[in-house]
Amino acid sequence: MKLKRGKLLVDPPACASSDIAFTLIIFFLVCAAVQPETGMSQALPKTEEKSEERDQSKNLEVSITPSGIVLNGSPLQLPEFTRRIAAELKTKTREQDRIVVVKSAPDTDYPAWIGVSRAIDSAGGILTLELESERTIEVK
Amino acid sequence: MKLQRRKITASVPSFAMGDIAFLLLIFFVILARAQDDSHIKWQPARLDKVDVAPAARASVVIDTGSKTYLDGKEISPEELATKLSAVLGDTPAGNRHVFLKVDRDAQAKVFEPVIAAISEAGGDLIHILEPEKQPARK
Repeated sequence: MKLKRGKLLVDPPACASSDIAFTLIIFFLVCAAVQPETGMSQALPKTEEKSEERDQSKNLEVSITPSGIVLNGSPLQLPEFTRRIAAELKTKTREQDRIVVVKSAPDTDYPAWIGVSRAIDSAGGILTLELESERTIEVK
Repeated sequence: MKLQRRKITASVPSFAMGDIAFLLLIFFVILARAQDDSHIKWQPARLDKVDVAPAARASVVIDTGSKTYLDGKEISPEELATKLSAVLGDTPAGNRHVFLKVDRDAQAKVFEPVIAAISEAGGDLIHILEPEKQPARK
């Protein structure tokens, strides 16, 4: 007589599935947390309201528009601006002379602004923003 | 005759521990997501050379809709300086890092007042940018 061997069914224990899910979540959380942020640090002088008494002739002035950059009245594109600002700041030794006043057109986009800001930082300039303040004047 | 009452021992099933831990973890993950800014939609600008940013005390985001957020909560640019000063507290200079995440399509009229507010609060500004992609070599 031939005896049939009984088939053994091996089921993984169902109570372990939550432990597996728990371990997987920990793994993905750790993976997500280790991606570092990248960027560019920028030193800005503390903001203060100033009247128009600033001696404008001493500081370099940069205007940014969506179409280009203007350095002390000359319209330039970014590569030329990078060279010119480096040359201008090379001769300035005092910290107060290295201040670069940046005025942007309201519709200037962020990548263009960052490009100019990077060029000023690399040349050793101290970027200062000139913001237009809004005033409401009632006309009677 | 005195009958003795049977003692019933109640025990927590140990196989439920995994489920409890799992639910607790989900709870804390959702709680953490409510405090960070990963739910805000923004596209970083690109720059050729970027550095790895140190850990920040606060994060300011300008999203695709030009709305400003401080640590994941919407805020107006006018009150940003005050709120950011409170977040930074008495942290010594050099450790007052503030991440600024600006959407690449944002305009100067939106991001410049925010930069000025960070500067007013005495934050050490770090622009969060993406490294420029290198062209594939043939």
